[in-house]
Amino acid sequence: MSTAAPTTAAPARGPVTELFLGGGRGRRLTWILVGLLVLVSAVRVISGEQALTSSSTMAATLLLAVPLLLVALGGLFAERAGVVNIGLDGMMILGTWGAGFAGYQYGWQGAVVGGLLMGALGGLLHAVATVTFGVDHVISGVAINILAAGVARFLSETLYVDNPAGGGVTQSPAMSSRPPTFSLPVLSSGPDLLGKVEDLHWFLVSDLAGVLRGVTNGVGVLTVVAVLLVPAAYLLLWRTSFGLRLRSCGENPAAADSLGVPVYRLKYIAVIISGALAGLGGVFLVFIANIYREGQTNGRGFIGLAALIFGNWRPGGLAAGAGLFGFADALQLRSRTAVVALLLLVAVLLLAVAVLQATRGRFTQAITAAAFAAASLVGYLSIQELPEGIVSFTPHITTLLVLSLASQRLRMPKADGLVYRRGEH
Amino acid sequence: MKLAALAIAGSLALAACASDETGSGGGSGSGASGGSEDGPKIGLAYDTGGRGDKSFNDSAYAGVEAAIEANGGEVQELSPNADASNRADLLTQLADDGYNPIIAVGFNYADVIGDVAEQYPDTQFAIVDGTGVDVGADNVTGLQFAANQGSFLGGVAAATKSETGNVGFVGGVQSPLIESFEAGFTAGAKAVKPDITVQVQYISPAGDFSGFNDPARGQIVAQGMYDAGADIVYAAAGGSGIGVFQAAAASGKRAIGVDSDQYETVGDPALQAVIMTSVLKRVDNAVEAYIGSFVDGSVQGGQDVVNDLSTEGVGLSYSGGFIDDIKSTIDDYTQQIVDGEITVPETPSN
Repeated sequence: MSTAAPTTAAPARGPVTELFLGGGRGRRLTWILVGLLVLVSAVRVISGEQALTSSSTMAATLLLAVPLLLVALGGLFAERAGVVNIGLDGMMILGTWGAGFAGYQYGWQGAVVGGLLMGALGGLLHAVATVTFGVDHVISGVAINILAAGVARFLSETLYVDNPAGGGVTQSPAMSSRPPTFSLPVLSSGPDLLGKVEDLHWFLVSDLAGVLRGVTNGVGVLTVVAVLLVPAAYLLLWRTSFGLRLRSCGENPAAADSLGVPVYRLKYIAVIISGALAGLGGVFLVFIANIYREGQTNGRGFIGLAALIFGNWRPGGLAAGAGLFGFADALQLRSRTAVVALLLLVAVLLLAVAVLQATRGRFTQAITAAAFAAASLVGYLSIQELPEGIVSFTPHITTLLVLSLASQRLRMPKADGLVYRRGEH
Repeated sequence: MKLAALAIAGSLALAACASDETGSGGGSGSGASGGSEDGPKIGLAYDTGGRGDKSFNDSAYAGVEAAIEANGGEVQELSPNADASNRADLLTQLADDGYNPIIAVGFNYADVIGDVAEQYPDTQFAIVDGTGVDVGADNVTGLQFAANQGSFLGGVAAATKSETGNVGFVGGVQSPLIESFEAGFTAGAKAVKPDITVQVQYISPAGDFSGFNDPARGQIVAQGMYDAGADIVYAAAGGSGIGVFQAAAASGKRAIGVDSDQYETVGDPALQAVIMTSVLKRVDNAVEAYIGSFVDGSVQGGQDVVNDLSTEGVGLSYSGGFIDDIKSTIDDYTQQIVDGEITVPETPSN
């Protein structure tokens, strides 16, 4: 009774606990990343699967994740303004076509502009249908997906058949110039110090070198743009009055309207930006192949949309979603046996989840996680190589697993997908 | 707002045109045939992509053109729609319009050609890359290719030219057809250098046909092989192949094309420099020979014609002159296969 009443501050912790749990979100995030790297590094050493953190895998991860990232960012703008955009894939198709068409005539800069414009055109169409005419968002989006494929085919037939520059019904002529790529001097090109360290296969050090080399060696100009767009989108949407107004259209358009926010105009702007970003994702695909090819999006627009939802309609979250999908996809394309090593990683992660849940007294979740962890471990120890059919769905399965375990409190913008009619609410 | 509405109306009209266009392509083909009244009326149903794919479809058209040159006649071409759900309709439409013979390009017609052929017993059908034996109709001829034999030569060329003793195989979709490419390539490479490393990877599993049309994944898979030490990669992956060539160009290594002479069709000097050779599937020769035997009246139906090295149904291309210096080696292996001294496997050995 003589002791002082507990202070209102956080309970006293030892210096070690403070180091890990103290500080802001930034420090926690850093520790999570460091922890993941140590874990993956350990799994690499135990399993001997060098592909897990090789620069080759990381470079492939970027190539696979960036189009998803751009599409998801596009979806972010539309959905934050309250317009569900199922038509992202169609806008991406338009973007690939526009990039191919402008690219073979005006080089890579032209391709960027062409892709942005064609994607924005798809966005404009979606905006006209959903905002002005009040069409159900999903129906308009599906229609745009179908329409985009038809328009691309029609335009190719008209412009590329018998075109002296090459091309045909299904593909454009090659781009007339290649986009620039960047490498860090000394570290990842020339003397290539990171590459040398990576080849030593040291615990942690080589893994870090591999990751760094993968994301700094021969990186395309659009990759840099896409990565910069993540913080840019956050700043624009959450730190400017324009962003606040745009988001208010997705949360409560009637209230925003009553306060003088031009809801229709903002929704138009948001959906057009959305289409342009999806189109930019298409440009990225054209840059990889150096031509437009029919069907080269292969449903990436839908995966990008999933990354957006998985990322809880936040820039950081959707970047993590796109990155995770890209990494799992890159790994399964690089090495079938490395996918088995993922099981070990999953086992350790789930075990950590189980311990965490147990300390919080949630024993059902803890036991479930522990059971899955045991199953993963048994899988890792007993399976030599997974059949191709399962391996190629690793990214989908991984994302689904993480989605169901990690993000159980998703919150979409409140008025997302609702048709807003001025004065009727 | 009016402008926007106009834009919608315009694009809708465009889309409508697009579907019309795919239904009635081929004016140039019939134009070329001119006034020969008595030649065959050839119906040509393309695989996904239609003419201009720089591969099977174009090759089939070249064969039809050559046959028209020799025998007269005319051709009507049809392409499937974007999701390729109307294949049966295309065949029915051609048969209704009186085209005979009707040539379906691509094994994807295998599911529907039997039913259509039964309804039109007086019309002869051929399916490129498919079988005429199991479809249950005796007026279907399968035009098959000993792809494993062509790929064997590709393996011979790769192993002879490889400096690292490490070559790669990128398959589009892990189907038995593409596996026969893999089997031949591996056997050919090992015939030259028994201890050679052959990296094998498929872009998508059986049933998921996206692997034939995803240059980005083709690029990533091939880049992985080059990073792992391969210096020549064989791309048996349709439209994804261009990604393989991009990876080769980026790594300063080389690649082998497939089906048509991709050195000629790739249309990009930077990529031409890396396409060492292409394993040709001479769809043109096969189609021309089939139409020839149709005109002779010797087409039987209900059977398969296998076009192999002995009939020049498969082979290597020499465009660019990258493998001119090893032509004698390749001719030597070709002769051994034709003579039966070497039997090329059809399924991968592992």
